[in-house]
Amino acid sequence: MLVRNTYNEFIKIIAKPRSYIGLGVLTALIFVILFAMKADGSSFISFVTSSFEQTLTFNGNILNGNLIAFIILQMLIVHIPLLVALVTGDLISGEAAMGTIRMLATKPISRTNIVLSKFIAGAVYTLILTLWLAFLALVVVKWMFGTGDLIVLNSNGLIILQEQDIMWRYLCSFFVAYLALLTVSSLSICLSAFAENSIGPIVSTMGIIILFTIIGSMDVTVFDSIKKFLFTTHMASWRSFFEDPINLKDIWQSILILILHNILFVVIAVLKFNKKDITS
Amino acid sequence: MKNLLVIYFLFFSFLSFSQTSDQIIAQLITKINLVKDYSVKASIKADIPMIKILPVNATIYFKQKDKFKVVTKGIAILPKQGFTDVSNFLSKKGSYVCVDGGTKVLNGILTNMITVIPTVENSEIILAKLWIDTKRKLIIKTDLTTRGSGSVTIDYQYAAQVAYGLPDQIIFTVDVKKFKMPKSVSGNVNQSNAKTSQKKTGTITIKLSSYVINKGISDEFFKKKN
Repeated sequence: MLVRNTYNEFIKIIAKPRSYIGLGVLTALIFVILFAMKADGSSFISFVTSSFEQTLTFNGNILNGNLIAFIILQMLIVHIPLLVALVTGDLISGEAAMGTIRMLATKPISRTNIVLSKFIAGAVYTLILTLWLAFLALVVVKWMFGTGDLIVLNSNGLIILQEQDIMWRYLCSFFVAYLALLTVSSLSICLSAFAENSIGPIVSTMGIIILFTIIGSMDVTVFDSIKKFLFTTHMASWRSFFEDPINLKDIWQSILILILHNILFVVIAVLKFNKKDITS
Repeated sequence: MKNLLVIYFLFFSFLSFSQTSDQIIAQLITKINLVKDYSVKASIKADIPMIKILPVNATIYFKQKDKFKVVTKGIAILPKQGFTDVSNFLSKKGSYVCVDGGTKVLNGILTNMITVIPTVENSEIILAKLWIDTKRKLIIKTDLTTRGSGSVTIDYQYAAQVAYGLPDQIIFTVDVKKFKMPKSVSGNVNQSNAKTSQKKTGTITIKLSSYVINKGISDEFFKKKN
């Protein structure tokens, strides 16, 4: 019954025009980035290497598909949560707003399974969005710009990763990025269980992400103790796969915290939905 | 009279030293000019603070006077100054003066230290100290002070192409004390504070092999992208 209901939920998602907004916007954004890189990519590279250019020169094909895929991932991972929340934030509250929630509850399936099926359908939609991003970043971009070594700029300096050492890092980082987006999906579904309209959970999800991101980026000691527990801190941990050496302990910690957040949001949503008054 | 004799002696000894260093440089330029063009396989290993990079293989192409190209499948880091700048600088006769700095033994080789000072305005090289093996007419070490890139020390080792004055290994020691990496630039806002390199110098070691000398390289080749 859970599988059938999940299938129905997924059909509902793909039947909504807003579900395609995410894919469309994602595609448009990536092609805008590609156009910008094709037109003036050298100035972007200069921005990356400017700290060293007084003394050193960087030779070779720096502006390649691997670098642009990294730039895309870095730029869009901030904005994709909105595209995810746009669809998943509506899954429960949308039913409440349209009045279909009562009909849904009359089906021979427990309320817990209704919520779980919505979470699974949301996870599948998020997976499709992530896979589409991966396809555009790793296949289309590499086809257009070719491949080569990857320059990564982080707060420890520059890391230049060799071409043959990059693909597995991307696959792992897309997995962690998916887990981060899944957390956003779970959060918005959880908030959706509390709301009676679609806009509230979507805006609340983005508000929480913005608030947590600002707290995480502030170098103030008073926030240090809570920073590591904010899911937004771990949303960028996909970047850790592009460090050398890779800090596996930090990555596992991030994965664990993201999974715990997902479980927490599901439990809260299930508890709330089980007690939700759907008669009014 | 005694004083006049001392001044006379000092003046002529200075002239003779000056002539000697000019002659050494002239002989060096003659040797440099033996090579019209070359290509060489290079293994580049960079040890720069705040940069992590594995050794890279590349092919370096050079054509007189200042055409230079590095072809590599990956990304190779080279110093901004020092690869062809010394020979370019020395080739411009009359744009510098040489001052003899005496002799010094470097790695068991007796060298003459010559300080070269540009006489033209806006020269990128402000000062060049050259340690020259006068017997074999080879530059053993160079200490360059540049206008925009700080100072670069270059150590040369010769083997197979000693007749052309082309080295088998070059070690660049570059000044890197100003490298700073704010987290706003790195784009990783969740990482803690910005780091600054503590080490003040970085080295780039280039091992050169399989020289192809004076076989002709077209000018168009240097214009083409990799």
